[in-house]
Amino acid sequence: MRLSDDTAVHNLGLESFGGGANIVAVDALDGKVARIRPVHFDEDYTKEELNYWKLTGRNGTVFEPGMKSYTPPFPLVYKCRTYSPNRIPFPMKRIDWNPDGERHPETRGTSKYERISWDEATRIIAAEIKRVHEAYGPHSILCQGDGHGESKAIHTPHGCMTRLLDLCGGYVMQARNPDSWEGWYWGAKHAWGMDPVGQNTHSTNTAQDIAQNCDAMLYWGCDLETNSWGWGGQQASRMAYWFDECGIEHIAIAPDCNYTAAVHADKWFPVLPNTDAALQLAIAYVWITEGTYDREYIQTHSDGFDWFEYYVLGNDDGIPKTPEWAEPLCGIPAYRIKALARYWASHAVSIAHCNGGSYIRAAFSHEPARLEVYLLAMQGVGKPGRISIKYIEWILFGMSSCSPLPPSKVVPNTAACYNGPLIGDMDCFVPKCLVHKALRGEEFSWHGRGTAANGRADQFEQFSFPAEGEPGIKMLWSDNPSFTTSLNGGNEFQDALRSENLEFYLVEAPWFEDDARFADIVLPICTKFEVSDFGTDNDSGQWSAVTYEKAVIDHVGEALSDWEAIQEIARALEVHGGVYENLWMRLTGGKTAEQQIEEGYAACGIAEKERDFEAFKKRGYQLIPTVEDWESQLVGLSGFADDPDANPLETPTGKIEFYSVPLATMWPDDEVRGPVAHWIERGDGHDDRLSSDRAKDYPFLIVSNHPRWRVHAEMDDVPWLREIETCKVMGPDGYAYEPLWVNPLDAESLGLRNGDIAKVFNERGAVLGGVRVTERIRQGVVYMDHGANSDVIVAGLGGLDRGGAINHICPTATSSKHANGEVTSGYLVGIEKVDVFELAARYPDAFARRGFYDPSYGADVRDYLVDGKSCHTSLQAEEGGEQ
Amino acid sequence: MKAFLIDLDRCNGCYCCQLACKDEHCGNDWSPIAKPQPMIGQFWCRVDEEERGRVPVVRVAYTPSFCGNCDECPLLEAAPECVSRNEYGFVVIDPDAARGRSDLADLCPHGFVFWNDDLAISQKCTGCAHLLRNGWNEPRCVDACSTGALRFIDEDGDADEIARASHAPGSHVYYLNVPKRWIAGTIVDRSINEVIIGADVTISDEQGNEVARVQTDWCGDFRYYECDQARYQVRIVVEGYESIELVADCRNGDVVFDDIFVIEKN
Repeated sequence: MRLSDDTAVHNLGLESFGGGANIVAVDALDGKVARIRPVHFDEDYTKEELNYWKLTGRNGTVFEPGMKSYTPPFPLVYKCRTYSPNRIPFPMKRIDWNPDGERHPETRGTSKYERISWDEATRIIAAEIKRVHEAYGPHSILCQGDGHGESKAIHTPHGCMTRLLDLCGGYVMQARNPDSWEGWYWGAKHAWGMDPVGQNTHSTNTAQDIAQNCDAMLYWGCDLETNSWGWGGQQASRMAYWFDECGIEHIAIAPDCNYTAAVHADKWFPVLPNTDAALQLAIAYVWITEGTYDREYIQTHSDGFDWFEYYVLGNDDGIPKTPEWAEPLCGIPAYRIKALARYWASHAVSIAHCNGGSYIRAAFSHEPARLEVYLLAMQGVGKPGRISIKYIEWILFGMSSCSPLPPSKVVPNTAACYNGPLIGDMDCFVPKCLVHKALRGEEFSWHGRGTAANGRADQFEQFSFPAEGEPGIKMLWSDNPSFTTSLNGGNEFQDALRSENLEFYLVEAPWFEDDARFADIVLPICTKFEVSDFGTDNDSGQWSAVTYEKAVIDHVGEALSDWEAIQEIARALEVHGGVYENLWMRLTGGKTAEQQIEEGYAACGIAEKERDFEAFKKRGYQLIPTVEDWESQLVGLSGFADDPDANPLETPTGKIEFYSVPLATMWPDDEVRGPVAHWIERGDGHDDRLSSDRAKDYPFLIVSNHPRWRVHAEMDDVPWLREIETCKVMGPDGYAYEPLWVNPLDAESLGLRNGDIAKVFNERGAVLGGVRVTERIRQGVVYMDHGANSDVIVAGLGGLDRGGAINHICPTATSSKHANGEVTSGYLVGIEKVDVFELAARYPDAFARRGFYDPSYGADVRDYLVDGKSCHTSLQAEEGGEQ
Repeated sequence: MKAFLIDLDRCNGCYCCQLACKDEHCGNDWSPIAKPQPMIGQFWCRVDEEERGRVPVVRVAYTPSFCGNCDECPLLEAAPECVSRNEYGFVVIDPDAARGRSDLADLCPHGFVFWNDDLAISQKCTGCAHLLRNGWNEPRCVDACSTGALRFIDEDGDADEIARASHAPGSHVYYLNVPKRWIAGTIVDRSINEVIIGADVTISDEQGNEVARVQTDWCGDFRYYECDQARYQVRIVVEGYESIELVADCRNGDVVFDDIFVIEKN
C-alpha cells in the first residue's frame, strides 16, 4: 500500500515576518496532501549529535527535549485550510466599483463580486497605483502588511507589497502595535527595561532554577494550553506538567478558568477583568504594612520606591490600598488577597505568562504590567526561584535569552531570502490602532513608532500624519484583511473602509474572510505546501531548525503566492514606464525561488562547515544542536540580583524604577500613565468599570482571549475544530455561533440556557453568540474569544454581526492617550437573549444571502460571487458533495 | 494484543488524537483496510470533556475514548463474514464485504461504529493497521500525543501498568488516574477578613464512619479528591470558633462550598 509518494517538512506556525515554528512532516499522495504529522528527529539524528539535555527538579523528576516535534492541533488540521471551500478561487472585482466611473465606497461590505482574470486585475491595479501616485504621491498608499499569516520567507504573506512600492517612490506602513504585549510594552518597560516588548528577556536556565527552587508559580492571565499552539507547540504543556510534578503550586489568576487552569491549576483566583491592578496594590499594601517585602533588595536594586509606598498607603489620595479597598474592585475577597500576599512573602514565587488576555490588552494595561514588576522587585526578583517566565516566543526576535530552556548554539534566520518588511523599520507610517483616522483622511499626531521592535525611548518621539502638504491615504493595500475581528474598534473600522476618502481598497489573501469582503479588488493567494520556501523553527523549546519547504501540491485554483502576485503587478506596472521601468528585474534580481532558498540557507547563521545544501534539501530540515556548556550560562536575572551595578537593567538608572523620570518629565500632566503605576478608575476614552454609570446599561465585563480553536482570525473554517464542544454552539437555525460563556448565576438572572443565542452589545453595536452556561467564568463576567469570521448583518458603528466577531464592539480608544495599544478585552457589555428567527425576519436580505453557508465550515466564498460559482475542489467535494 | 493505555493525569485536552485520526482518514482511502471517513460526524477516536466543580474550584476532565476491541464484541458474532479481529487484536470491518450493513453501527453498545451513508458502509477504528503494516509503531492518535497521555502498548508486555489501570469489562482501553469526585471549601473569619489556616476538617460517610481528615492550607482551603458518588458529612473544627457540620452530596457531582464563615465562640 502506498502511504505517500512525496514528503516535505514545513513549519506551520503563524509567526510570519520570516519567522517560524511548529515543524511537521507533510505526506502527499497523488498530488494531494495526505497527512500532516510530527517529525521524528530520531530517524535523522542521535541524541549525541544534538547535544541532548536533561533538567532535574528538586524531587528528581527529569525534563528532556524529546526526539519528536510536539505538534499542536492547528498543523494537524491544516489541509482543511489548504482545501477550504472559502479559499479565494480567482481574482475578483467588486461589481459596483468602477475605477473609471462611480466607485461606490458606501456599498463596500454589501456588494457582490465578479470573476476577473489575473491580467485584468493586474492591469487595473497598476493603473490605480499610477493614478494615485500622479494625483497624490506615494504617501497616499497605505500598506496593511502585518499580522499572523503563514510563516513563509520568500513568499511571505505580509508586506511583500512594500518591496514593490519601495522601488517606485515609497509607501505608508501600518505600524503594527505590540498586540499581545500591550501592557508590558507601554508599561513594564518603564519599570525594568526589557526591550523590546517589556517582558523578561533574561530567562536563561530559569526552567531548571524554577524546578529546583520555586514554591509556587502565579499563572497570571496565562493560558499556555492555548496561546502556545499558534507559535511554538506543546513543549510548553510538557514543561507545565513537569513543574506540576516538581510540586510547584500552580495558582491561576484570571477571570476565566482558562484551558491551562482547567487541567493544571491547584488554585484559581477569579479576578474581575482588568482589575488586576487593585489586587496587586492590595498585595503591596499587605507587604508594606507588615514589613514582609525585601527591603534591602529594594534599597539596592530599585529607584523611587518611596513614591509607590506613599501612594499605596493612601497619602496622596486619602485611600489606603487595603485588601478591603481592593475587594469590590477586583472581586477577590480581602481574606484571600491577604492569604496570597503572605504566602508570596514567605515563599519563592515566580510568575508565568503566555501573552494576551484581559490582563495585558485592556484599558490602561500599562498599570498592571508595571505593578507586576514592582511586586517582583519587592520579593527580590532574580533570586533563586523568583523570576518571571514565558511559555511562548522562546527565541523572541532572535534573543535566545528569552528561553527558560537550553538554547541551540545558533538562532537561524531567513533574512537573506525574506521578501517582506522588518517590523519597526519604517520611514513613513501610521500606528495600527489609529489607522481608522488615516483611512478617513484625518490629520493626527501621536508618540512612538510603537511597533513590537522599538525600544523604550521610542515612546517619547512625536509623529504626525500626513506630512505637511500631502493629501493623506487614498488607497489601502492589505494582505491582512482581518482588522475588524482582531484589532480595536472593528465597527468603526468598517465605517472607515466605506469612507469617501478611500478610493481604492486592494486585498490579497488566501481566504475570503472578514474585511476582504469590503475590498474593491481581491487577489487569490496560495498557502503552504503550494510553494517551495526556506523556513526556521526557533520556538519549539527543543532545537532550532531550518526547513527546506518543498512544495508538495499544485497551486489551488488560480492562487499565486504574495511574492508571485506582486511580480505580476510589477510586470503590469512596467507598461507605464518612468518610475516603473524595469521594475520586475529590480524587484527580483531575476532570481528563482530555488536560488533564494539556497541563499537563505547559506546566510541563515549556521557555520559553513555545518552546512550541506544537498543533504538539507534531501532531509527537508536541519536541527541545530544545543549550545555547548549551556549549564554554565548565568541563570535569568541572578546577575542583576547579585550585583545590580555590574549587571544593570536597560532603564535610565539601571535599576527597577518605581518612579519613571522620563514619563514624569515628558508628560507631567498625564494622570493615566503617570510616573508611578496607579489604579485608574476611568479616563482617556475608557469608562468601563462595574461602578460606572455605563454599567447600568452594560452590566457585564467581557473577557476576550486569544481564541482556543483559532489563531486570531485563522482556522475558523476547519470542520474538525468546529466539531469540538467548546468551538461553536449550534443555533436553532442551523447556524454555528461563536460561544459566549455565561456563569450559571448570571444565566439564571438573564433567563439564558445552554444553546440559546444571545446578543452581546454596547453603544458600538452588537454581535451574536451561542450561550454556554459554565462555571469556567466567574459571575459578572462573560467570555467570548476574538477572531471569529464575521458575518455582517449591519455594518459600521451600531451594527450587528452574526459571526460573533466580538472586536466589532470593542473600544477604538487606545490603552491611554500616550500609549497606542489595543483595548480588546475587559470592557462593558450588555447581554440579551434573541430570537434568531425574528432577526431573520427583520433582516431578510442579510440572512438570505448566505445560501452556501455550511455550519461545518462556515462562510463560503460562493455567497459573495454574482454567479455563485467557485472553481476549485475542496476535500468535501471529493466525497460527492456539491461544488 | 495491542491496547491503548491512557494516563488521564497527562491529558491536556488538546484533541490532537481526535484530529490526527481525522487527518488520516477523512478524504483518504486506505482500502482495503479503511475507506474514507466523512469530513464530520464520525469519531473513531473521541475526546470527551466534562466540566467539574464550581467557581473557584473548577477543572475539566478530558477523556480520550476509543473502541475497546471488546472480548465479547457483538459485531464479531453477528457478522463473522465481514468482521474479524486482525493481527493486532483490533476488531475490523471489511469495507467491501460489509457494504450495506447499517446494522453493524447499531450493534456497538458504546457508539464506536459509524454508518457512512454516502459509501453505504459501517466504519470504525482500525488501529491504523495500514500504517502498522508499513513501518509505523503506533497509530496516528498516539503519534500525535505530545504529553505522553496516550500509549500504544502490548498487553502482555505491560501487565504491571494494566494491573493498575481501570477499564470497562472486556475492553482493551485502559485508564490510569481516573479522577474521583471532590469536596472543597475555604474557611474564613469574615469579621476580621482572615482565612483560617490549619483548621481540622473531618469527612465521614453517611453512616458516620470517618473517611478522611484534612487541614486547611495557607489560603484557608481544604480539598478532598477521593470521594465516591455518595453523600458525606463534613465537620469543621477550629479552636475558639463554633464547630460547623455540613452535608456534601457527591452523588451528582463535585461539591464546592460557598466560603465558610466561622463564628467565634462567646
